[in-house]
Amino acid sequence: MTIAMEMDQTSQAELILHKAVHPPLSKRVQGLGGVVVLALVMGWIAVDLELTPETFFRGLSRLGGFFSSMWPLSDGGDLQRILYALAQTFAMAFAGTAVAAIISVPLGLLGAKTIVPFAPIHFAIRRVFDFFRGIPVLVWALILVSAFGLGPFAGVVALAVADIPVLSKLYAEAFENIDPKQAEGLKASGAGPMASLRYATLPQVLPVMASQGLFYLESNFRNAAVLGIVGAGGIGFELEERIKMFAFDQVIFIILLYMICVAILDTLSGRLRSNLIH
Amino acid sequence: MARGDFVDTDLQKSSPSSRSSDPVATFEAERSKVIGRRRFYRLFFLLGTLILFIWSFSVSEIFGGDMGSDPLGRMLTFLDKMTPDLEAPLLLEGAETPGSFSNWYYGMPLWGPALLETVQMAIFATILGAFLSIPAALLCSRNLVPYAPLRAGVRRILEAIRTLPDIIVAMILVAAFGIGPLAGVITIVLSTVGRLGKLFSEINENADMRQLEGIRSSGGNWWDQIRYGLFPQVAPGYASYAMLKFEGNISAAAALGIVGAGGIGIELARAITYTQFTDYLAILLMMTVLIFAIDIASEAIRHRLIGVKVASA
Repeated sequence: MTIAMEMDQTSQAELILHKAVHPPLSKRVQGLGGVVVLALVMGWIAVDLELTPETFFRGLSRLGGFFSSMWPLSDGGDLQRILYALAQTFAMAFAGTAVAAIISVPLGLLGAKTIVPFAPIHFAIRRVFDFFRGIPVLVWALILVSAFGLGPFAGVVALAVADIPVLSKLYAEAFENIDPKQAEGLKASGAGPMASLRYATLPQVLPVMASQGLFYLESNFRNAAVLGIVGAGGIGFELEERIKMFAFDQVIFIILLYMICVAILDTLSGRLRSNLIH
Repeated sequence: MARGDFVDTDLQKSSPSSRSSDPVATFEAERSKVIGRRRFYRLFFLLGTLILFIWSFSVSEIFGGDMGSDPLGRMLTFLDKMTPDLEAPLLLEGAETPGSFSNWYYGMPLWGPALLETVQMAIFATILGAFLSIPAALLCSRNLVPYAPLRAGVRRILEAIRTLPDIIVAMILVAAFGIGPLAGVITIVLSTVGRLGKLFSEINENADMRQLEGIRSSGGNWWDQIRYGLFPQVAPGYASYAMLKFEGNISAAAALGIVGAGGIGIELARAITYTQFTDYLAILLMMTVLIFAIDIASEAIRHRLIGVKVASA
């Protein structure tokens, strides 16, 4: 390699370095423009929603007051009722997940490309799932409570209705991901459709479905905790009552108890799920 | 001969009692034992699930609440009540004509701004939350902070935030900050930091450390390494996750109004207080269309972001 070539390479490298360290003006303006737009949007929203520092700090000091009144924790002499409400929350989550899982199986079959060869059906079903997927559980619960009256029934229906679109989609994917070789093998050795369902389809699909069901049980236990706020039973009602009374020693007690339950359920269900998949 | 002896002693060691019996029978006995045990576990599991099923249905009053025992019939009546009586020839008439769209959506002057407020809350809280998540994520990334207790501490805090349902946080914050969007915005910021902090730290931990090492070897300090080595790698991933969280934040903001934290939920709660059945459907449709539209737009943007990342790699 000659010295001239080396010089050439060095100057080329310096050219690249210069470009990298000093980006062109247009690029810098672009970056700055993004920041300015972001700041303008944030400022406009803050003014429009009246998010002022004064209200923020006033609220913060009130929040501090709540926390200073939370010690010592207390069950308010109603431990039995709180525990029952927690159990009811779990029951609602379980019942809602079970109902959703049962209804999602036929819907999942209809939504699976490999099972229903007629494209418009599974396309339509999937779009309907997508459409309803976004509606929050609490909104369903609010509406259903006014339909069915106060009580956990409305909560169970709300959880199920909110889960069905997502679970059906997941189940449809589970059916689509079946390995067809096992069914083919059974067919080749003379098995009928029932035997093929029992020994080829179910063993592949059931663990996936059960594991997704458990995952939704975990998430529903969190969702069920808020349903009581709109009168759909469970721990949410006890919480709301105590927040309105500013009884923060009891509020924090219930929240801590609830968080322990969540941790226990997550651990158990996580272990079950990992057993199912392997 | 020596070989036969070896097999014999081996069998003796593993199961002395079955020395004389033939190996096929031993295998069958062992197999039926395994199958029997598995059946027992399955039966036990099934029975447990069944009991849980019956218990949960009875505690949640599915059959025999005080509203009668015909859940499906009740639901159909309710659906019928929610549906407005639209009449085809009058659809485009003014708000005074019953049966027209504008009569059904008579509350639009109130609902429109409330829907906009929902979107504003979600945008503001997502941007603020995403920026606050960056330092939180840096502090709990294994490859960036060598001090383990600090990482564990930040991680536990993020976990605790994720465990708490948004609505409960919002209720407490409404009690402190008053009714209005501020409580909702703070709630969503908290939940965004809880979720994005974790996701961002996972992106950080998958980053290519050689770029950071290169900057350190040429004399860059910790911040230079983060700024010029880490951020260019992780920014598309950050943005993509923030958009994903934005979709969730829109539906969270829609629900938060129910406890008084601003947005369209307040209008829904009001309609329900006055049992304006056709309003439920009207507001529900607005919410659904909004969430659906934002999902589609955000998905398109996310795919572009990830595409950009793939092209530059």
